[in-house]
Amino acid sequence: MDRRLLIPVLLLSSVRAVAQDTPKSVESRYQTRYSVGVIDDATFYGNQKAPLPTVLNQVLIEPSFGIRDRGRWNVNSSLIGLTATYSDTSTQLRVREAYGGISARDFDFTAGRKMVLWGAGYAFSAAGVLDPPRMPTNPADRLNVNEGRDMVKADWVHGSQAISAAWSTAALAPASANLRDTAALRYNVLVRGFDTSLIAGHDRGGDSFGALTFTRVVGQAWEVHGEAVWREQAAVLLGAKYTFSGVTCIGEFYTPPNIPYYRDASVSPLAGRQHDGFFDMGKARLRERPGWKEWGISGSVVANFDDRSYTGVIDVSRWFGNHFSSYMHLELPRGSKTSEYGSSPYSTAASVGVRFQL
Amino acid sequence: MCNANRFLRWYLIVFFSGLLLACALVSRAAVPATPDAEALLKQSDRFRNGWPSYRVRVKITDYEAGRSDEEHLYEVSQKGKDKTYVEFMSPREKGEHLLMLGDDMWVYLPDTSRPVRITPLERLTGDASNGDVARTNYAADYSPVYLRTEKVGAEECYVLDLTAKRKGATYQRILYWIRGEDARPVKAEFYLTSGKHIKSASFDEYGVIGGRMLLRRLTLFDEIRHNSHSVLEYSGATPRELPDKLFYQGRADRF
Repeated sequence: MDRRLLIPVLLLSSVRAVAQDTPKSVESRYQTRYSVGVIDDATFYGNQKAPLPTVLNQVLIEPSFGIRDRGRWNVNSSLIGLTATYSDTSTQLRVREAYGGISARDFDFTAGRKMVLWGAGYAFSAAGVLDPPRMPTNPADRLNVNEGRDMVKADWVHGSQAISAAWSTAALAPASANLRDTAALRYNVLVRGFDTSLIAGHDRGGDSFGALTFTRVVGQAWEVHGEAVWREQAAVLLGAKYTFSGVTCIGEFYTPPNIPYYRDASVSPLAGRQHDGFFDMGKARLRERPGWKEWGISGSVVANFDDRSYTGVIDVSRWFGNHFSSYMHLELPRGSKTSEYGSSPYSTAASVGVRFQL
Repeated sequence: MCNANRFLRWYLIVFFSGLLLACALVSRAAVPATPDAEALLKQSDRFRNGWPSYRVRVKITDYEAGRSDEEHLYEVSQKGKDKTYVEFMSPREKGEHLLMLGDDMWVYLPDTSRPVRITPLERLTGDASNGDVARTNYAADYSPVYLRTEKVGAEECYVLDLTAKRKGATYQRILYWIRGEDARPVKAEFYLTSGKHIKSASFDEYGVIGGRMLLRRLTLFDEIRHNSHSVLEYSGATPRELPDKLFYQGRADRF
């Protein structure tokens, strides 16, 4: 099939899904969910260090559909049709999620490509062994382009505790993802407000690993979270969130060992253990200011303390009614040319975009 | 003679004892008894939670300066007094979920890398806060004290002073007016720990759903920005067998 035809086909299939999603009684046997997102995103690069185009334009169509039969079985899909125009124009179809599941009493079985979120970190994670990769400069995945892992998974859920066993294959993942087949086991429990997980597993042809994660709310305004992971050496993450007057601040400190599994391409193998920090302050809606209720703003800094490089990020968004929003995302990397963030091929990247959500 | 005296003495003892008892009973009946605030609060909760396990749709319309400017639709599943699962259905929030287990709350955002724990202060965002949708069992969250009887319009109401007794409560204090006749909620004022009066509520409309008289319409007034209010409309309330798995905090795929 011509790849250029994929986007209209995707759109048509999602519209068909919309047509099928007639208003339903809560008593109906089948429940369906759908959504369609369309994003036009333009990124302008400043002070490029290589002779490359300064504008990247991306159009994304993101239909999602799910159907469930009263908790007995479910089928879900979430696709991404992406057309990118940079030095040339390319179109691709990505499968964010496509999986089916069946439930029997306390057991759930799932097969297919699926997003799994086991890590407790917001900008960094060492424990999220099956999670999509974290990007500290874009932890919220603003274009929703992260893809799940291909896996079979069994969950036993009883009250507030669960045991999950998953086996994920790397055979269908793009080579650039640098993934291995992974088998992992997780025990998750909520005890005295601690949402705690123990994770153990093995990467085929690679390392075995073990991890402990937790999140806990303390008092009225604080949330703390952390991860301790052993994979050849220890990796530790500690983070906290603080809320005041509708403003949310998130801070994280992360120290991974300098081994191939964790190492960023820009970091030298001789550099030793890395120490990273993240701080974000944002307000989702400026509702206290008359006329600014639809605006959201946040600013963050992610830094590598070892090479003293950092990236500043500013996000501004505005909703127009119930379906349209626009946004601006600005990245300002700084540091020496050989540092983690200073080695970026640009000194500014400003993205502006519009989003339609159905 | 001796017997007659003894008889008279016993007669007088019994007579005055009976008189004292009658006076005590009459005086007790003359002063109205203080209502049982705990029982009233439990009774009033039944107008918002019809069954031990149920599902209901909530439509929230926000008004700014008298004009409607936003609509949100939620599907709320509630089991027992401390398990609530809210699915966000309107386009701008689609894919988001909220889970409340006792004092703990999580929000699942499709575009973040993990389930996000919500602090008590974050429950207060919006004219209709997360807590207004997810925590409707006041008897489980607050200790009530009877204050007085007061007329609201034509209704004779009991006024209860509710103080948060657990961390998961949305507000520190609520002044709660409930109808004397049947304990139906009539209006409320919500206060922060600082004593600041942040919201008021008027319980506008009730209707018979599934054989039970349940709340159908509630208006929340922002007492800080006086020109804004939210209307919560409840529909499709149905008793449902909800599996415990629905309320498991680690489940990221909420559908």
